[in-house]
Amino acid sequence: MSRRRGRIGAQFAALRSPVGLSAGVFVLLAIFVVWHGRQATNLAPFSTKNIATALFTGLAIGALSALYATGIVVVYTTTGIFNFAQAAIGAFSAFLYWQLRVEWNWPALPALAFVVLVVAPLIGIGLDRLIMRKLEGAPLVIQLLVTVGVMYFILTATGQIWKQDRPRKLNAFYGTKSFDLGPINLTYHRAIVLLVAIAVAVALRILFRSGLGVAMRAVVDNRDLAGLTGTNPDRVSAVAWAIGAMLGAIAGILIAPELELDPANLNAVLVLAFAAAAFGQMRKLSLTLVGALLIGVARQFMRSFLRFSDWTFASDAIAPVVLLFVVVALPQSRLQVGRIATNLKQRERTTRPWEAMIGGAFLLVAFVALSGGWLNFGFWDPGAWNQIAFNRTNVALSLALVGMSLVPLTGWVGQLNFAPMAFAGFGAFLLLKLADGTGTTLVSVWWLPLVGLLCAPLGALVAVTAARLRGLYLALASIAFAQLAALLLFPHPKIGFSSGAVFKPFTVFGLDLTGRRSFMMLLVSVFVIFMIALVTLRRTRYGRRWVALSDSEAASATLGVNVTATKIIVYAVSAAMAGVGGALFATANSTVDGVRTFTLDSSIPIVLLMAIGGMAFPIAALFTMFQLITLAVEERLEQAGAHHYILAALTFLRYFGPGLGAIGMVANQRGAAFAAGLQNARYLPWRGDAKAERKAEKASRREPEIGQLGIEQPFTASRVLAIERRLGVVDELIPTATQITTTASTPIPQQQEVSVGAVGS
Amino acid sequence: MALLEVDNVSVRFGGLQALRAVSLTVGPGVVCGLIGPNGAGKTTLFNVITGLQRASNGNVRIGGKDVTNSNVNRRAGLGIARTFQKLEAFNSLSARDNVLVAAESTSKARRKGRSAAQVADDALERTGLSEYADITVGTMPTPRARLVELARALATGPDLLLLDEASSGLNDEETGKVGELLREVVNATGLSVLLVEHDMSFVMGLCSTIHVLDLGEMIAHGTPAEVQADRRVQVAYLGTEAELAS
Repeated sequence: MSRRRGRIGAQFAALRSPVGLSAGVFVLLAIFVVWHGRQATNLAPFSTKNIATALFTGLAIGALSALYATGIVVVYTTTGIFNFAQAAIGAFSAFLYWQLRVEWNWPALPALAFVVLVVAPLIGIGLDRLIMRKLEGAPLVIQLLVTVGVMYFILTATGQIWKQDRPRKLNAFYGTKSFDLGPINLTYHRAIVLLVAIAVAVALRILFRSGLGVAMRAVVDNRDLAGLTGTNPDRVSAVAWAIGAMLGAIAGILIAPELELDPANLNAVLVLAFAAAAFGQMRKLSLTLVGALLIGVARQFMRSFLRFSDWTFASDAIAPVVLLFVVVALPQSRLQVGRIATNLKQRERTTRPWEAMIGGAFLLVAFVALSGGWLNFGFWDPGAWNQIAFNRTNVALSLALVGMSLVPLTGWVGQLNFAPMAFAGFGAFLLLKLADGTGTTLVSVWWLPLVGLLCAPLGALVAVTAARLRGLYLALASIAFAQLAALLLFPHPKIGFSSGAVFKPFTVFGLDLTGRRSFMMLLVSVFVIFMIALVTLRRTRYGRRWVALSDSEAASATLGVNVTATKIIVYAVSAAMAGVGGALFATANSTVDGVRTFTLDSSIPIVLLMAIGGMAFPIAALFTMFQLITLAVEERLEQAGAHHYILAALTFLRYFGPGLGAIGMVANQRGAAFAAGLQNARYLPWRGDAKAERKAEKASRREPEIGQLGIEQPFTASRVLAIERRLGVVDELIPTATQITTTASTPIPQQQEVSVGAVGS
Repeated sequence: MALLEVDNVSVRFGGLQALRAVSLTVGPGVVCGLIGPNGAGKTTLFNVITGLQRASNGNVRIGGKDVTNSNVNRRAGLGIARTFQKLEAFNSLSARDNVLVAAESTSKARRKGRSAAQVADDALERTGLSEYADITVGTMPTPRARLVELARALATGPDLLLLDEASSGLNDEETGKVGELLREVVNATGLSVLLVEHDMSFVMGLCSTIHVLDLGEMIAHGTPAEVQADRRVQVAYLGTEAELAS
């Protein structure tokens, strides 16, 4: 009796855990959604036929996203890299299959075999060899951003190879032929989808039980150690990537007939796959499949049987909602893991505020001079800008402000955020509600600080959820947040942006900023103010504390830093900056589309370009203007009659720059601003220190210190292992008790005490 | 009144009992050692004291205040500071900034009215790091980075300093220096130290009391001589006689 009561008590206690809590909230939310959705009239009746149709449509979509999710999980459990490019590989494969099957009239089977069995594995192995393997040991932020870069690259490549110049359609297998299964009418295509999903699940289960599966799991724990036991880690990770890419290709080809043949559209399934992978706790294949099917069915039932009047995209929001709840509920790593700082200089130097002021003044002058066409370099005359050029510049500058909001949050505190445009959307939304009114008068510029102030609490609110999340889960939560804002809030005609929302230009001190040029000067001024403020902030106690937090949360906390409160402040600052940027962005566009403007897809290039520029440096926000600048140069050169090779190269750069640059972070993790500073600081007259450092570095390169066995450098696990291997003492990797009585030997960092104990006992 | 009282603390990780009803008291102005074979639960105990790990059972009191359910940063405010077995210095900051972050996160009362910059400079001076104040810690050799961690802990003006393997990664000479430094700090400021150590000569020379953990249980405590003579300690470290003979 007492035992039984204990168990019930434990169940109640479970409700207080994050898992129980989010499950409870989720169930309440689901009940509300169903109740709300059934309020509408003219709903489809719950007939057997309707239910069966919805069920199998949902299962098919679920099974397809399960294929993607499985690919992600296989790669993640084996190599530790979370592949954002999974659905992009699928999109590319679908287009390639279309090329073979429709355009070149190949029979289905050879086309399928060629894409799935030849091209996809080559992509997977290529990615592994050329890029992913170099990411081992890199900070998680870099690992994630590089795969996002790969995603972006593949999607642009697909969009460029198969331009949207004509409609393309990939037919379902066996066309629309179907068969009856009791009351259900099932197309052959969907039957194939379900069968393939089941077959893949079974095959992978068998594979993971085999020796290869064990080897795969060993490799993710410690590549070097797995290598010692005779496993070939390179082969294992190549196999995982090949499997992942093949699953992506199958899913892409099968899903294309269900959706339009459009890269962005095909990639949108990614969030569903993320939600499923999170449901499977990033490692359990069976749970991943279950999660994908549940989400697919729930989504389809909402589409078929519920109506939400103005919440047009409610059914699409299922996946991000699940993703958010699951990620919050998953057990989080405790305060631990320090960030691995890379490319450190012996003397890190933070920019002085007066240097930022000089830079800011330079920027102001440059924009005035360039836009007025006052700089004639002989070979290059910018000419006075026309309205289109101003317009583009204004949009790009306001996006640069949004990008700069990532500097404190991601660059300093290391909180990966894929939702800057969601925060920007809130800013635009606030400006609309606060200042617009009739839409006839100009808007006072002083609304902008107010917009920032009001966005800050929103950032804080997000931070409360995000504070306990770290690394990958935090990134996924930010994706879910971006999707939810873009699907539920912004498109809502009453709550979000109504279709005819007009943003009026600003006035300041009685000055009318209606002209595009004067608006540009306002934007440049805000940019400069933000930059100087950030540079100043970085040198205060707050800036120091924020950077310290990203280096080691655990150490910060033990020194008395309130980690949660600090994060909340940073999120608030970042949200305020993004909000101001968003309000200006909306004004630069003069109108906003609630569905398309502030989406996840619009956030990604900003995040990538910021990372390429150097997330920790405010000036890197200029990199978000990359596409604008290449476009401007291109047009200018075209007018000047430049050779078409040059123009083609510039076009290539414009499209592929963000993706390639992000992939390039494999080599340069701190970004272009850092590299540029490292190279060029010595030319500044007041930077004698940079000159001296460079000289010292050259001198030290000439005389390498040998014989110290790395004692003069910080240890990493792989370094220690390499040293021990060279010394031939690998067998003593797990210290024995007798060793302790002698003087302390070199410790093995990252060896958990507990796990050692478990081995010993 | 005792600075630190650990009362009957247990910690479970799933099926593994990392700590089993461990009790420990540290008074003011003493240097205590905490030793034990690998996997004994020393770092876990440190984590429980500093709040990085919640105890499944038992209580922790700092300065008489029950902090069993307090946050990590609140406990720091009560005057405990620690270093880590695996370096947790702020790698991308300079040594001075590392120490400054600590000083700035400390209440004015604990800084005894001095400015954070003064406290930081003092801590750097004391650990002999003044010369390297501007060097980025991530580029420092391990022994020096360990000193930065120590300086950082000292800059919070603690009553009790927890050192998790201060000598690991250090050679004999460097270990000796750290011991010397600790003695000086204890004499000058009167703080207490609880240190986890593998280097026996280091522990025996420095500590007035030693606690021995083995497989999550406190098997002995006393003066260095008492502990060395303890049968259970010898067995824990060297195995039973039968095992030794074989």
